[in-house]
Amino acid sequence: MKKILLLLLFVSLPSQAEVAFQDLLKMPADNWLSYSGDLTARRYSLLKQINTTNVGSVVPQWVYHVKDSKRLQVTPVVADGVMYVSHTNEVYALDAKTGREIWHYKHVQAKRHDGNRGVAVLGERVFFVSSDAHLLALHAKTGALLWDTEYGGYEQNSQISATLAPLAINGKVIVGVTGGDCGMRGFVDAYDAVTGKQLWRFYTIPGPGEPGFESWGGHPVGISGGGTWMTGTYDASQNLLFWAVGNPGPDFHGESRPGDNLYSDSVVALDADSGKLKWHYQFTPHDTHDWDAQEFPVLIDTIFQGKPRKLLVQANRNGFFYVLDRTDGKVLVAKPFVKKMTWARGILPNGRPDVIPNMDPTPAGRIACPGIKGASNWFSPSYNPETGLFYVITIEQCDIYTTSARPYKKGECYDGTGAEAIPAEPGQFFLRAIDIQNGQIRWEIPMVVKDTMDPWPGTVSTAGGLVFFGDNEGYFSAADARTGKVLWQFNTGQLITASPMTYSVNGKQYVALASATDVFSFGLFEPMRPAPVTLKEQYEGSEAKQGN
Amino acid sequence: MQIKNWIAVSWFTVVLVGSVVAQDKPPEKKIANPFAKEKAAVDAGRTQFNSGCAVCHGPTGQGGRGSRLADIERVQKMPDARMFEVIKEGVAGTQMPPSSLADNQIWQLVSFIRSLNLSAVEQDVPGDSAAGESLFFASGQCSGCHMIRGRGGLIGPDLSNVGARRSADKLRKSIEAPDAFIEPGYAKVEAVTLDGRRIAGAAKNNSNHSIQILDAQGKFHFLLKEDLKSLTHYKRSLMPTPSLSDTEKQNLLAFLSRQSLETPAERARRIEHGKEIEP
Repeated sequence: MKKILLLLLFVSLPSQAEVAFQDLLKMPADNWLSYSGDLTARRYSLLKQINTTNVGSVVPQWVYHVKDSKRLQVTPVVADGVMYVSHTNEVYALDAKTGREIWHYKHVQAKRHDGNRGVAVLGERVFFVSSDAHLLALHAKTGALLWDTEYGGYEQNSQISATLAPLAINGKVIVGVTGGDCGMRGFVDAYDAVTGKQLWRFYTIPGPGEPGFESWGGHPVGISGGGTWMTGTYDASQNLLFWAVGNPGPDFHGESRPGDNLYSDSVVALDADSGKLKWHYQFTPHDTHDWDAQEFPVLIDTIFQGKPRKLLVQANRNGFFYVLDRTDGKVLVAKPFVKKMTWARGILPNGRPDVIPNMDPTPAGRIACPGIKGASNWFSPSYNPETGLFYVITIEQCDIYTTSARPYKKGECYDGTGAEAIPAEPGQFFLRAIDIQNGQIRWEIPMVVKDTMDPWPGTVSTAGGLVFFGDNEGYFSAADARTGKVLWQFNTGQLITASPMTYSVNGKQYVALASATDVFSFGLFEPMRPAPVTLKEQYEGSEAKQGN
Repeated sequence: MQIKNWIAVSWFTVVLVGSVVAQDKPPEKKIANPFAKEKAAVDAGRTQFNSGCAVCHGPTGQGGRGSRLADIERVQKMPDARMFEVIKEGVAGTQMPPSSLADNQIWQLVSFIRSLNLSAVEQDVPGDSAAGESLFFASGQCSGCHMIRGRGGLIGPDLSNVGARRSADKLRKSIEAPDAFIEPGYAKVEAVTLDGRRIAGAAKNNSNHSIQILDAQGKFHFLLKEDLKSLTHYKRSLMPTPSLSDTEKQNLLAFLSRQSLETPAERARRIEHGKEIEP
């Protein structure tokens, strides 16, 4: 057979733009390589082209409409000028400078349609989860499917789904599952990044014979919840993963499950090679208000109260702002960051909450604070090492919580009733800046009170002295990170349902946000450069057409 | 009151709890074709088609006054029940009239039209698939440009699912005449920048103000039109016409026709359950 020599011209060679594990550990600058920019999730970028002196000149650079989207929850990832954006069972690769599409992958086989929060990148692979809890690897240059590993058990329990951005670390991809309100047993899984083979699994609900099993009073393990629906963080110095765990089930009926209900509403520290538990801390023992601990644990190395410490920080849905020592899980600071707090007087020296009695939901309904959405939720906080402040979108709200004994029925949710708003008492959103040394609120930006509590706005902070944040009215804004003075705003005209990030291409800084149905990218105003020559754009076989 | 309260609470929980997103709706009862792929039904459907449909849609379904019905994605993705409904009810505002045929006859028509739209993986293409695989990954050097399940190059379209996306006829034509149909995102383009650099590769996108090119080394070039002197789009495919014997061609076809990310049954089930249609 005659060789097809011409083909040799197009044999692809390894490209120059692979993402190495070491790249994932760097502080975000030109690239934003993971859900929170780096594996510590501080969401702090070294970029400062846009800063407090010029942010007023920021204008939209491009908008990309994501077809059929309604409530995008993704934080875009940018690697070497390519932006990866996910939507329900889909991934788009865009030219980050212009917003033009490069490729699009749609996992048509998926059996559910839920929100999706983003991708992970490692090597030449892009990882994302489908709504029916498959982990998929795509080629970063073409979007070609490289492997597809089913991991969630959707076929056995159709209430299980997946919504998180995976976390890529050294040769591994880590994922979790959604569905803790509907009768499942949560877990954290690790997969080989090259082959898609499972490496280990850590169940968030201990089985018989395991420590913590006794904390459930005999409630069946397989339906106890403990979802893992948000991306975790990774500390390379300890080779530890930190993963936040969701609510126990049934959410609002605590009598079904007497005890602390480990490891629900906890952060677990897992050995990244084995998945073994090193330590845990439970924020809300025996939760009856659906206060998932799901906001990602932020890892901060700093001088803390005079000594260098490895910290883990979380503004929890239960209303307390926590600073832990992440080497052992010891609580260093635990202070309310909301005024509306009725379930605990404080956190005791042993780390347990000083619980106020009789605040559990009742069949007739009982008011408790924070509300079901939590004092904060999955939307992203950020930490700026220059100010020492932790920026978090906060909700001051109470709800009426109701309970009833509801037996588990396969295929239905297992919530034991729920919560509803107090009539004529809507909640209020704030952006709050919390000093991590002591948990004090240094400044806050209150937002207008509205009936709807639908937005999911988050933050990003930069070396330009700024914190960018979404509000509850569709405005994307920037404030001085030190003072909270608002320096810039843009009306997106849509509900803000995701958290911003920043990146740069060819020396120009951009700030991007996925909001409801579109991806917006902003940068400093520059007048259009007139083309120096008239482009000759021609189509083979046709007359030359003049472009530009 | 309690029930009303529960409903309100349930709605609220679904809206507000991040871990609970859309719930699966209870499956609707699907109307199935009682004949499915029965040969007798296909033959009977052909007769119906020739007497009533061919005048507009062409005797082989290639289209004419009416739209094309053979070997076309729009029809491949249409559930049987929807096809039945279109034939029975007609299409308002077009020349497609409602049918006066009995339901059984309409189902036979559905079976026939379905037979015009079989993907390669459903057609049991003859040939030595193993020899075709060897040709693809080794002697034929196809994998220098094309990838299948992570093995191969980038400059040509990924072929992991090509057996489900193409009919055997279209696959054969793509091998014999690569220029006849060029997949979007894989057209050859050459740009010359203002400083004289030549960049050639596949145009992933092209607009009035920018172009995105993937070159043969797997490197992206994102170019603004204002930075270009010239830009040439080629009608010819980046793929040369392979010189293969008839046996080699058939073996390659047999191999490619079996590349599918789903089994035909899984795909049919998905289409019938409307999962391809957006949430």
